[in-house]
Formats: sequence, structure tokens, C-alpha cells
Amino acid sequence: MNPTRERILAAARASQPTETVLPTIPDFGGDASLTRFSEVLASIGGTVVRLPSRAALAGTVAELFPAARVVASPLLATAHPIDQQTPIDVLADVDLAVLPGAFGVAENGAVWLPEPSMLHRALPTVTQHLALVLDHRQLVATMHQAYARLPDGPGGYGLFIAGPSKTADIEQSLVIGAHGARSLVVLLY
Amino acid sequence: MKVALFVPCYVDQFYPQVAIATLQLLAKLGVPATYPPAQTCCGQPLANSGCEHEALPIYQHFVATFKDYDYTVVPSGSCVYHVQKHFDKLDQTPDVQHVRATTIDLIDFITQVLGVQELPGTFPHKVGLHLSCHGQRGLHQANESELTPVRDGRLRRLLASLDGIELTELDRNDECCGFGGTFCVSEAAISGRMGHDRAHDHLRNGTEVLTGGDMSCLMHLQGIVRRQQLPMRVLHAAEILNSTLTTS
Amino acid sequence: MSYLTHAGRAEAFVLDHERTSWHDETLWFVRQKRDRAVYAVPEFQELRELASQIKNHTLSRLDHYLAQFEAAALANGVQVHWAADAAEHNDLVLRIVRQHGATRVVKSKSMLTEECHLNPHLLAHGIEVIDTDLGERIIQLRDEPPSHLVLPAIHLKKEDVGETFHRHLGTAQGLTDPQQLAEAARQHLRPKFLAGEVALTGVNFAIAETGSVVVCTNEGNADLGVSLAPVHIASMGIEKLLPRLQDLGVFTRLLARSATGQPVTTYTAHYTKPAPGREMHVIIVDNGRTQQLGRPDFRASLKCIRCGACMNTCPVYRRSGGHSYDFTVPGPIGSILSPNIDLKKHSTLPFASTLCGSCTDVCPVKIDIHTQLYKWRQIVAEANHLPTAKKLGLKFMGRLLASPAAFKLSGQLARRGLRLLPHALSHHPGANAWAIARELPEPPKQSFRDWYAQQPSPTA
Repeated sequence: MNPTRERILAAARASQPTETVLPTIPDFGGDASLTRFSEVLASIGGTVVRLPSRAALAGTVAELFPAARVVASPLLATAHPIDQQTPIDVLADVDLAVLPGAFGVAENGAVWLPEPSMLHRALPTVTQHLALVLDHRQLVATMHQAYARLPDGPGGYGLFIAGPSKTADIEQSLVIGAHGARSLVVLLY
Repeated sequence: MKVALFVPCYVDQFYPQVAIATLQLLAKLGVPATYPPAQTCCGQPLANSGCEHEALPIYQHFVATFKDYDYTVVPSGSCVYHVQKHFDKLDQTPDVQHVRATTIDLIDFITQVLGVQELPGTFPHKVGLHLSCHGQRGLHQANESELTPVRDGRLRRLLASLDGIELTELDRNDECCGFGGTFCVSEAAISGRMGHDRAHDHLRNGTEVLTGGDMSCLMHLQGIVRRQQLPMRVLHAAEILNSTLTTS
Repeated sequence: MSYLTHAGRAEAFVLDHERTSWHDETLWFVRQKRDRAVYAVPEFQELRELASQIKNHTLSRLDHYLAQFEAAALANGVQVHWAADAAEHNDLVLRIVRQHGATRVVKSKSMLTEECHLNPHLLAHGIEVIDTDLGERIIQLRDEPPSHLVLPAIHLKKEDVGETFHRHLGTAQGLTDPQQLAEAARQHLRPKFLAGEVALTGVNFAIAETGSVVVCTNEGNADLGVSLAPVHIASMGIEKLLPRLQDLGVFTRLLARSATGQPVTTYTAHYTKPAPGREMHVIIVDNGRTQQLGRPDFRASLKCIRCGACMNTCPVYRRSGGHSYDFTVPGPIGSILSPNIDLKKHSTLPFASTLCGSCTDVCPVKIDIHTQLYKWRQIVAEANHLPTAKKLGLKFMGRLLASPAAFKLSGQLARRGLRLLPHALSHHPGANAWAIARELPEPPKQSFRDWYAQQPSPTA
């Protein structure tokens, strides 16, 4: 029995107002098109590349990232092996991570990346460059529909990633590439 | 329709021409208004300073003065907002409720009660409309840029109906002028700076005549215009509308 | 003018006319970005109403949702702690850090830890704590508090940042290019992330249903820190709760648009379970929140999602800067949160406003900020914290304004005085604060009531 816990809960109980209604959230519909997703992603510093086929992944990656030495990916046979036990100095060396996105959100260019797709939790942000592979049919319009696609919850760890890392903390000048990935490409098949 | 005129204290003392114009404008629109001389103040300066309690006798005096009129028209959105919103501190007797419901800003009275949306008349000048915060956000007399990019409002439409008028498009449509009642002296530096920026927004965008529905804002802006000798006239909207309307 | 009041500090800020213009324009630019984002979402006003209702409901069943959150988190293997105040919070953090023999802590943005003054506490006990958000790192190096909820270094020009980085990171003297400065920060902070032993984060939203904590960043610094360090400590105020995962649909659509005009932050992280072999802790903090919850007029301020839109839109904040509020959270929202913590110290904050109402219009959760500012003024006056001169002046004014005869006489005297006094006296800035920036109105010969009394019988 934690006395602080009891005091805080008792204080809340004593202070809170009469119960009000928890509203039902409507589905607002919206534009779930690839066009919309692409234009929003471009406006936030990301790039969309269409794969002629899923099989073209390796070739496209090689073409887009010729300088990448250490590539981590569950989708590429030649990738450097990464898992939850990979030591930090190896993770720190990753140039490019190519990970499977679950679905995209057209209103904001975000892609849902659940933990099982990450190989190691640090990979999406420790990598210098990030590519997310996405089925173009897996697009929803808004965050309402996005969360509706997670009926079992977000898992142990899950990220919506919308574009490359960025900051405007220096005089509101937008800089792409803060601490996370310097660039984000969504490879659509 | 029995209509009374409530004249804000500073208008009574320093801008009587605004109250005269209001009276004459109403008469021209077919509404002869009476000025009950027992009136004093709506109590806003005290209430906004934290002394709402001390303002209650003033509120009661206001209700007593105006309870027998169908409407109490005020050339000031600020005072009206205060009566409508903050007289809730009084016991809500039938008289109090009546006065709160029927104390109305001049422009709202013209457009919403009399249903007059346009006026004949000419005013061939570049006019900068200053939206008072109480009128715009408090009384919903005009669209707020926080909610929509569409510029529209009751006074805007009335002015726009005058021949030859050109309304200024400002850089910041509805930023506060910085008067804020006692704020103008308790935070004099910020108040002065806000007024300066507002006046210069008008200057930059070509305003020749600065107008609005609240003499408090205009008094503050006029003070700055005169101090900096800016090429602008400051007139309350009642003065403009009254001047363009000949006796019918 | 006393430096202990907002007005005193604001006066000092505004002395630099150009810098004030720059600060004001920069924040107005952020407000405009917000506007464009809001106009583009047709249902935005509906979303605000939903968010307000969700938060109102949550606050009305706070004990229930706190318990539900804790149970879910515990079931996920998360350790849950409770802190009544800042001191307890800081001790808990220190204890957890020490339990792991750690001395290197990386921290992503958390206004709560700022409120608790956590950094000095850890430093005093030999723990290195690095703020990893770029804006926070800049002010940490300068030993300054943040001046804005979301843009902590908004008061600094790139020259200021360049000078700080030159001194602490060894960048070239005179380097001011933001891209290069940010790159320097990235290189400087990366080893800190890699060596972090404990990662501290704040919490944007805590989901009662799943026991998850949600953290939103643009830089990725929260995720980088948490995913590399063996221990994660997330500090949250009790008011951060949301009932359901689906509620995030509403809030993630409102937060970034309101804050910076982006459709969403780059990273929206959902931490629910610690990674195998690692630890995750959540510290639930009161620190005055249940007290605010008990104030019917002010409890709505607890709906705040820390977006900063109110300060971006506030014409007073833009021209006085966050430091002039002398409270962790500045601006309009800070001015209604702070009197709950220390009424006397923060007594001038509810008056640092013209009550224009713009803040209320932009608040994504519809807090009636300007109404609460007005209500706090009544409490400050009742508690006798008004400046004496103002107090006496207002009492006198009250009697005057209730009496038609006294009112009439005082008006006559004022006008006559103004007409007779030489300009240098009536407009002396020392005696007449109005006259610092403005001319007084020309005093007319007759008041309106005098004119009216002289008219032929009033039209009936």
C-alpha cells in the first residue's frame, strides 16, 4: 500500500467534478489516396519512390543509396544481421535501414512501424537514413482510421514516422536531419 | 420602441461628438433615443482590475437606470460585452435579466434589430477598420482569423456599402490594439508597443481614416497617431455612418 | 518599475525595439503556420470540441483512469511510481538512477521535469543529465530556463546559438548557419545517446486502456535515447491521461497543427512494454494538480496539452518574451496555472493581458483562458495582492462611478484640468503612464451630457 498513491487518488476523487460524457468519435472520412499521401510526405521532407514490383526492392535500394555500407533490413538478403541483442557500436554504424511499414496515413504522411518490423528498437532512429517499404493499398485518410487499425493496441513499442527527423529550434529555420534519420524514403509497391 | 443611449464615461467626457453622432444616426434611422442623465459607468474598469465586488453597486445603478427601456444602445462593444457577460454576478432578477439581454452595441442594433445591412451615402476614403476584441471575439460581430481566413463582419459590411470606400487589408487582421483598460497604464510599455504596431500596420497598408466600434481602442490608437504625427484621421464608425446619412 | 513584476520585466524586454520586432514577427510566423494548418482541416472546430469533451470527461473520472492506467502498465511489466510533489519526483528519479549505478542520463523534452527542477537535483548528486532536444540543449549550455513550451530557445538568434556552440562545442567563431549548427549538435549529442544509461522522457499522452505513454517529437531524440539506454523513466502529470487509444486520433490531429502548423510531429512513439531485459518506469506526479482540480473556475486549465498555441497568438507574450513570466510555463496558460502554485509571486501574471481572447480561440482543448485570467484577478484582489496605489485608486473609483453627481463633477474637473495644464505637465511620463507613448485626447469644452442637457426637448 503506497501512501502517496492513496493520497493522490483520494485528492483526485475529492476534487474532481461531476462526471461528464465521454464522446463517441466519428469517422471523418477523408482522402486516402496515394496522391494525397505523396504530396503531404513531400511537403514534410520525405520522398516517395514507386517500386515497379516488390521484387525490384534490392535493385532500387542499391540505386538510391549507392554509398550505404552497412544496411539493416529484414527484407534484403544481403543485409547486415540486426536483432534485439545487437550491441550499440554495431547499431551506431548503420547507414541505412530498410523496414516494412504497416500502413500509411494520407493526411500527414505518417507510416506506422510496429516493433516486430524494427529488428531492434533503436534502428529507426539510430540509422543515418531510413527507407520504409509500403503496400500502396495500405493507406488510410486520417489518424482516426489509423488507430482503428490497431484494435489490439500498439504492441510493446510502435512508432508513427512522418518524414525525416527535423528541427526548427534555431531561429525557426527548418533543418532536416536532427538526431533521427537524416532522410526518409517511402518505397511503394 | 423605447430606446436609451448609454454613453461610456470616456466618450461622455472626451469624445462627445461620438455620442452626438450616435444619437443623430439613430434618429435618422427612425429611432429617437433618450439619454437618461443619471447614468454613470458599466463598471468594467473596476471589474477587470479584480474589484468586481466593488463594482456591484455600479452594476445595480446601471440596471436601475436602464430597466424601463426596450433597448439600451451603446457605441461600444466593450461595455456591452461586460454587461452581457459579467452582470451574472448580480442576483438575476427580471430587471437584471432584461437589461443584460437588451443592452446592445450600436452596430448590432443597426444590423440585427433594425435589420439595416447597407446604408446609402458616400465616403470616398481608404478606411482601416479596427476590430475591437470585445466586439469581435466577445460579441461575435466579425469573423476571427483564428478560425477562418474569410474577412467578414457586421461593421465591415455596413462600411463596405458606402460608395467610394476602400477598406484596408491589414497584415494582421485582428491583433489586439493593446488598450486593455487599466492595462494601458499598468503595462504601459507593452500597451504602447502594441498600439504602435497596430497603427503602423494601418499606415503600411494605406489607411487614411482609422475607425471601429469602440472608442477605447480608438482613443489609444489616436493617442499614438497624434504623438507620432501619423497621416491618419481617427473616427468612430458612428461618426462616419452619421456623416454620410442625410436626414431623410 | 520592479523587476519582480511581469510589467517590470516586460518593460526591460521591450526597450530593444528591433529585437522585440524580431521576437514578435518570429512567433507571429508560427501562429500563421498554425492558421494555414487549421484552415486546411474542415472538421478542425469539431475536433476541438471532441478534445475538450474527452478531457472534461477524463478529469471528471481521474481517479478511475489513474487506477486503470496503473493496472494496465503494471501488467505490461512497467514499474509505476507516485510523487506528491517535485521533491518526491526528484528523489524517485535519483533513486532509480542510483539503483543502476548510473551517472549518465539523457533527457528528452519534459516541462514537468523543468517544473520540478530535476536537473539541478541530479547534478548536485553527481549525475550528468544531458537535455537532448536541440532547443533544450542550447539553453542548458547557456544555463537559462526555456522561454516557450515547445520552442525553448525561441528568444535566441542564430548568432546567440553560434556563440554558445563556439564556446561549448568548439564550432568556428562566427558560424551562424542553422544547418551547420544543427549538424554540430547532432555530432556532439550522438555519443551521449550511445552512452546513455538512463533515458528520461516526458509524456504527451498516457492511455488508460493500454497503459501506454505517448511521446511526440520532431527530432527523434526521445526514441533514440530510450531505445539505447537500459532504463527508461517517463515522468507524467496526472492530467496527461486519456481513456482510450482511439482518443489519440483526435489529439494527434490537433497537437502539432496547433503547436507548429505541422500535420503531425515526425515521431509519435507509443511506449507500452519495456524491451526484454530492460526497465521502464512511469512516475505519476501531482505537484499542485489535484489542488487545481478542486477549483471549479480553474480546473479546465488541466486540459492543457502543452501545444503553446496560446503563447504564439498572445500579443503580450510576443512582445515580452517567456522569461518575463518567471514561471516554468509562460504565456496565457502559465498565467492561469501559476497562481494555483503561488498566488503572491505570480499575482501580476493574470494582469499581463488585455483579455483579448485570442488564446481561448486557438486552444485545441477549448480552455476558457481569458475568462480564467479575469477570475484570477478577482482572487488576487481579494487576497490583497494588488499594488497599493492601484488598490486605493480603484476603491475611490468605485465610489465615484456609482454616484451620478460625483461622476459628473470629476469629469468636469478632468477636462478643465487637462485644458488648463501645460502639455509638459499633463503629459509628463513620470506622472502619467498614458503619456509615455501617447497624446492625451483633446479635452472638449462640453461633455456629452452637458450638450444633451442644452438640446431642445428630447425627441420622444
